[in-house]
Amino acid sequence: MIERIDQRATESINGYQIRQGKHLPFGASLIQNGINFSIYSSSGTSCTLVLFSIGKDLPLVEILIPESYKIGDVYSIIVFDINSEDLEYGYRIDGPHNPAQGHRFNKSEILMDPYARLISGRDEWGRNPNWERAYPYRARVPFDDFDWQNDRPLEINPADLVIYELHVRGFTKSNSSGVGHPGTYAGLVEKIPYLKELGINAVELMPIFEFDEFENSRINPETNEQLLNYWGYSTLGFFAPKAAFASTGKFGMQVDEFKQLVKSLHAAGIEVILDVVFNHTAEGNENGPTLSFKGLDNKTYYMLTPDGYYFNFSGTGNTLNCNNPIVRSLVLDCLRYWAAEYHIDGFRFDLASILGRDPWGTPLSNPPLLETLAYDPILSSCKLIAEAWDAGGLYQVGTFPAFGRWGEWNGKYRDCSRKFLKGDSGQIGEIAQRLQGSPDIYKQTGRSPATSINFITCHDGFTLADLVSFNQKHNEANGENNNDGNNDNLSWNCGAEGWSDDSNIKELRQKQMMNAMALLLTSRGIPMILMGDEVGRSQHGNNNAYCLDSPISWLDWKLIDSNRNLFNFTKALIHFRLEHPTLRVNSYESSNTNIINMPSCSFHGTSPWKPNWDENSRQLAWMMTSETGTNNNEVDIVYVAANMAHYASWYELPQISSSFQWMLKFNTGDINCQYHPLGISLTENGILVGERSIVIFMASKIILESTV
Amino acid sequence: MELNKSIVKGWQVIEVKGQVDSKTVGNLRDYLDQNIIGDLPIALDLTEVPFMSSAGLRTLLTLNRKTQDMNIKLCLVGVIEEISETMNVTGFLQYFTMHHNIADLSEESKEND
Repeated sequence: MIERIDQRATESINGYQIRQGKHLPFGASLIQNGINFSIYSSSGTSCTLVLFSIGKDLPLVEILIPESYKIGDVYSIIVFDINSEDLEYGYRIDGPHNPAQGHRFNKSEILMDPYARLISGRDEWGRNPNWERAYPYRARVPFDDFDWQNDRPLEINPADLVIYELHVRGFTKSNSSGVGHPGTYAGLVEKIPYLKELGINAVELMPIFEFDEFENSRINPETNEQLLNYWGYSTLGFFAPKAAFASTGKFGMQVDEFKQLVKSLHAAGIEVILDVVFNHTAEGNENGPTLSFKGLDNKTYYMLTPDGYYFNFSGTGNTLNCNNPIVRSLVLDCLRYWAAEYHIDGFRFDLASILGRDPWGTPLSNPPLLETLAYDPILSSCKLIAEAWDAGGLYQVGTFPAFGRWGEWNGKYRDCSRKFLKGDSGQIGEIAQRLQGSPDIYKQTGRSPATSINFITCHDGFTLADLVSFNQKHNEANGENNNDGNNDNLSWNCGAEGWSDDSNIKELRQKQMMNAMALLLTSRGIPMILMGDEVGRSQHGNNNAYCLDSPISWLDWKLIDSNRNLFNFTKALIHFRLEHPTLRVNSYESSNTNIINMPSCSFHGTSPWKPNWDENSRQLAWMMTSETGTNNNEVDIVYVAANMAHYASWYELPQISSSFQWMLKFNTGDINCQYHPLGISLTENGILVGERSIVIFMASKIILESTV
Repeated sequence: MELNKSIVKGWQVIEVKGQVDSKTVGNLRDYLDQNIIGDLPIALDLTEVPFMSSAGLRTLLTLNRKTQDMNIKLCLVGVIEEISETMNVTGFLQYFTMHHNIADLSEESKEND
């Protein structure tokens, strides 16, 4: 092999051999016998590279990067013969400190590289940090030679996804999980068989970018409980996996451990979607710490008021200036990195509407960042999912600038399904839209049912068990006098607030949870299930457990046994959905032409073809049909009858071809058996659907004896 | 780091003593390059290795690839639980045959290879 001619130092500073570096890529990159550093600052006047031996308080060396090493606004330097594994690094940037003009340079601060791919400082979850330590979160240089073998993103058809939203730590932290590495990426690997059994084919991981669980940590004065930033919606480093979610974080091996998680999930046929938080950072407002962006180029990275204060569209102190070209590049580089280097299958963008605001906060009609992501070649097969609102009042469900690519957390599905399930009047018309993939909000702009991420619960708000057990939030454990969290939960406690030993109430709650799962999993669009809802996980009425690293937030695995019925029911429903393509049709247009002459989705009432759209109606049935098979020579039909009234009603089923028969598969109103694996043939023209119950039928082809 | 080599049951046993990290891994790599014989299986005895860093694990994997190319066996012996767990959760373990101690090695002969 021919030796590179640029791998020799040109000069020496403080005993270190250096030369001008490569300005791209940004960040720190391993080269043959050294490390290449590259960092951007447009308004800074000088840049000093600060190197530490790992864990040491005082720097090993500080190297002022020669001005001649700068191209444009980018400083770059190669330092030779340094040991990357024993190294932490940061920068000092000199420049004006004039907050009114947006500049907050302070060369006494050591700043973290925004492109840091490995970050030390919070290596073990909950371990009390040294608060006096200068430069608390430190950039490191990871190995990037993980052996993926033949792994690649799965590229599952979006319409076929069943997403499971989970918190990496909370999923296995409970002792009841029985895993060897509770609360970690490795712990999650151990539970892949459970996810396979459940049937989901995508996990959406709550934030795993490096964050500080001690940010805003405090003691609850009433309970003395340590409150932490458990959820992690406050990013420290966009390119680094959370070290404390890795059992090997203390050895700095979180990159390998997280990659092994992705590889293992892929091997099990499960996609990985990351919940990413680009709307703000952990630096807060003018009173917050200077960790990275503030000291590198405050005016570029943050949305600032004319007098230099921070816009707060995120509700957390600052707002990342996502449509500034520099920040746009950072976001793009970040997502490309996770897609290419970690084989990530998709991203869910927290408070994504912020990404469509201009530097002064005004919503843009064609936001460059969203367009860039939509058409990027590396991201072209990645799922892009928007939480299509922000804390500044922008609500874009149905109007999010999608560029034909973006899906949305459908908040309207959540709200309407909750109201319908608890028997509110006036919901029939809207729920009919929601369960066919919300054509009322997506069809006109040429989008499809899989645009809609359907969910009834998510991390934010009540769990499913709490949705049927509480009328009011109970967030006292958060130490904010129950003032935090949403007040409008659209929940119904079924007759008593909280825990009850009344068997009727317990039975009704169980049924309501099954109704929710039945509605969700027979709706077109992409269903998303919250961690533990399949086994009735409760947060004791807390609808905003962001700061609770405790059993309230963790999944109690004993619930699988105590709520076995609900688990089996949910599992069977997921598998039913995956077996019936008619529930996953990704078009609003009926394409049935060959062998059936029925609409793709039709609505019915207690009598077939006669839905009752009245304000007071609480009864609706729907039938979904599609032609399947390689030559569209097979037919798949599913009929669902929902009775959210407080009385039972007889539902007559639509007549279908004589070569088919209706088979009952699910009945939430049957206290003895809610799921029939083999199906029960319908012997009459209909079925009595119990109060607040849902039944699901499939049409099965009649097999004539002579053909057997 | 201390490194020794012996032949046991037809295996060339490389005994490693001390931490394997970025500071010492160069010694191990050089030793292996200079001392491996091309026609005998290799047992890397890690009984007295208390810690192995990311760089150390990568050196093991590099050795694994090299022995594959040379068409000779490689096994790890006496890896302490903490290291084997780290190897497990980071995906390194799957590439290696592990033995508890040297006595577990099977008798090897050139003919068997």
